[in-house]
Amino acid sequence: MMKSLFTAAAIMLAAPAMATAVVGQPAPALTATDTQGRTQSLAGLKGKTVVIEWTNPECPFVQKFYSGGDMQKLQAEARKQGVVWLTVNSGAPGKQGAVSAAEANAKIKAQGSNASAYILDSSGEIGRAFGARTTPHMFVIDRKGTVVFAGGIDDQPTADPADIGKARNHVTAALADLAAGKPVEVASSRPYGCSVKY
Amino acid sequence: MPSRFAQSPAFAYCTADMLKNLILALFAFIAAPLLAASSAQLPNTRVELVSEVARPAPGQRFTIGIVMTPKPEWHTYWKYPGDSGIETRATWSNQPGVTVSPFRYPVPETYIVSGIMNHVYGAENVLLAEVDVPQGASGALPLSVKLDWLVCNAEICVPETATLTLPLTTGDGSADPSQKQRFADARAALPRPLSEPASFAREGNRIRLSIPLAGTDSITAAHYFATADDTLVFSAPQSLSRTETALIIETDAVPGSSPQQVAGLLRIERADGVLGLEVGAMPGAVSPGEPLAKAAPAGEPLAGFLPALGLALLGGLVLNLMPCVFPILSLKALSLAKSGHSEAAARSEGLAYTAGVILVCTALGAVAIALARAGEGAGWAFQLQDPRVILLLMLLTLAIGLNFAGLFEMQIGGASAGQSLAAKPGAKGAFWTGALAAFVATPCTGPFMAGALGAALVLPPAAGLAVFAGLGLGLALPFLAIGFIPALRRRLPKPGQWMVTFRRVLAIPMLLTALALAWVLGRQAGAEGLTLGLLFALIVGLGLWWLGLRQHSRGGTLVPAMVALVAALVAPAALARLPQPVTGGATATTSGLAHVAFSQEVLSGMTAAKKPVFLYFTADWCLTCKVNEKGALSSSEVAEAFERAGIQLMVGDWTKPDPAIAKFLESRGRAGIPLYLFYHPDGKVEELPQILTTDQLVGLASSR
Repeated sequence: MMKSLFTAAAIMLAAPAMATAVVGQPAPALTATDTQGRTQSLAGLKGKTVVIEWTNPECPFVQKFYSGGDMQKLQAEARKQGVVWLTVNSGAPGKQGAVSAAEANAKIKAQGSNASAYILDSSGEIGRAFGARTTPHMFVIDRKGTVVFAGGIDDQPTADPADIGKARNHVTAALADLAAGKPVEVASSRPYGCSVKY
Repeated sequence: MPSRFAQSPAFAYCTADMLKNLILALFAFIAAPLLAASSAQLPNTRVELVSEVARPAPGQRFTIGIVMTPKPEWHTYWKYPGDSGIETRATWSNQPGVTVSPFRYPVPETYIVSGIMNHVYGAENVLLAEVDVPQGASGALPLSVKLDWLVCNAEICVPETATLTLPLTTGDGSADPSQKQRFADARAALPRPLSEPASFAREGNRIRLSIPLAGTDSITAAHYFATADDTLVFSAPQSLSRTETALIIETDAVPGSSPQQVAGLLRIERADGVLGLEVGAMPGAVSPGEPLAKAAPAGEPLAGFLPALGLALLGGLVLNLMPCVFPILSLKALSLAKSGHSEAAARSEGLAYTAGVILVCTALGAVAIALARAGEGAGWAFQLQDPRVILLLMLLTLAIGLNFAGLFEMQIGGASAGQSLAAKPGAKGAFWTGALAAFVATPCTGPFMAGALGAALVLPPAAGLAVFAGLGLGLALPFLAIGFIPALRRRLPKPGQWMVTFRRVLAIPMLLTALALAWVLGRQAGAEGLTLGLLFALIVGLGLWWLGLRQHSRGGTLVPAMVALVAALVAPAALARLPQPVTGGATATTSGLAHVAFSQEVLSGMTAAKKPVFLYFTADWCLTCKVNEKGALSSSEVAEAFERAGIQLMVGDWTKPDPAIAKFLESRGRAGIPLYLFYHPDGKVEELPQILTTDQLVGLASSR
């Protein structure tokens, strides 16, 4: 009964806010303070390719990519090409994977994350603006600020790190297409993983 | 496996319960390589591999199932999991030549957390698959599968994995009797294909689906589960409406997409259960429908609660005027006024009466909800679908009527519940009067209550119980008012000799109620049932008469009272021993033509005897079926032609899931209905088009 009430309340709260980042259209606005206290804004990043990664350090699907260093490698390769990589945690306070700025920074250090910035979105505002549903959920935004990829990181929807080797990584491929001046071949995929803990 | 578990977030919230599960999981891990097991208990899910066939035969195709049971509050996923989650994956390592089909999934449920839609199973669910055994197989034929699945609760998701091995050996290929029920249930939980074409239209950021369906007015809730990401927004509320011939679903379209088709599964809830239909829609015109009066929009389980509660309250109030309740209430009210109670005593009687009414209403509601959840298809007054209960109520109203008429008095000791206590003053008596009034009131709930109470059955259980309690409160209100408002009590007429006369008069509505119940009994149990019921009514009546005579002569009353009581209690049991009269469901709509219910054995027997058979399948939700039944199939020309030609009509009703019908359709290579088959005397089977005409059917009869 209580759960139903909460669900009903959640629907009412969530429904109007559920806009999404649509492939081929301008990305939703994003302005936030990162865990280092710097202001990050998509408007200010125009002219650069941006990757946004939704994360939850306790989600097994996120751990799939961090435990073997795969996400860190992906971030380093992207940064080398001049891409800005934003990691966003939309976990609401008290929910699984929600962290403070200090905890996030400790995690970044421990994992050796190479993201440009880590943004805490505990209100879920940014997540809902983008329509982030899962962790991980990836978005690639080109130099003009247009969303060119949205969806699951690869085509192996499992939590098993052993599957990374046989997967097509859609983010790597999208960045390669952008670098080659080609349209992104796979512009969307089904996001998979844990639900974002709004 | 343990390393994966250590990564899982569950570890972070380690409780004693989880520790136990962890130990179990570790044990399972250690034991697994030693003992290939067909089941596994993971921390959050129990999985089991089962086979319908104990010893599969070479060349046989048989069905296996994966039984997945998540812990309470946890869920596993449908093949198309929604906004998050993943489908269950299987990697088979069987002998060469043994192939296993992809899984067939049961009808899922919605589960929304923070605006994220999940398509899930919150309880035991069985995934079915077909196994093909090669021709040359012999000896051991173990099936081995590595399963990967995701199990989540409202907070966390945990991927789990298990390897299951079922040690089968080849044999005669006969079904395993111990698995019969499980597979029948699993097949009943599968969605069924809707062969009629649905259409969809996109307007701006909204999308409307039109799904051809009969009987849309009985739908209490529905949800369309889209399989693809580019059609409708999974988490958006879906509004339902209907036209004469279709259910219309309108919701948000996925921005920026332009789907060429919409594929998915329609889950329909009615008072009598859940129905899943696989529906594909193509672009087309969709006309707006009119609102579904009783539908609560899916995803908002509490919508419809307040209207239902209001209706129930009002309905309960009206029930006081019903012939079965009014006599009890009015006598009780008069006795309250008569006794000249103190304020406090009057109030406590009012409250006790209310408590009795609400308790019985809520208890009956709880049973109805429990039965509905268990898939029994119960509604309010479910007890009235059982002729035994009707008989018991009939005897009870008869006894109360005879009591009012003065045939006998109630003076059995305070031990038995009901009227004896009800006649007593004080809070205890008032409580039992209330309980009796509520129980006796159920035959009178009437059709105007059906909507509210139907809604109560599909609301979350607690809200549903509140609606039933509301019905009780409404029923109790007048007496409560009399108890609490002295002015009302004063306005009641002064007690006197007229009350005895009044009581005699009130016997009339009570006995009329008994008559109405006798009529219902006759409809339900046939002439034999009615005769048996009247016989017992006679015995009860004679017993009570005898009781009354003894009371007058101050003789012992135990024996006659026992006679009446025993007769009343034995009657329902005796009724149950009568053979059940044949009842027609959807099949009753064909007029004039006698038909038999579908049975593979009977069909085989008739075709072997070279008897021509016209076989068709129908369901209450199948629009084309209904059109044909009201049209060509009910024409008198067809009936005459069939009769002349000696064609036996056989009808399979698929309104409720039926494994035998599903199997027959499968064997015909047909997924859905309608299906019209004519078995010629020479053994030829002709399949007719889905739209039947009278000429065609008459032609069939004269072709032989």
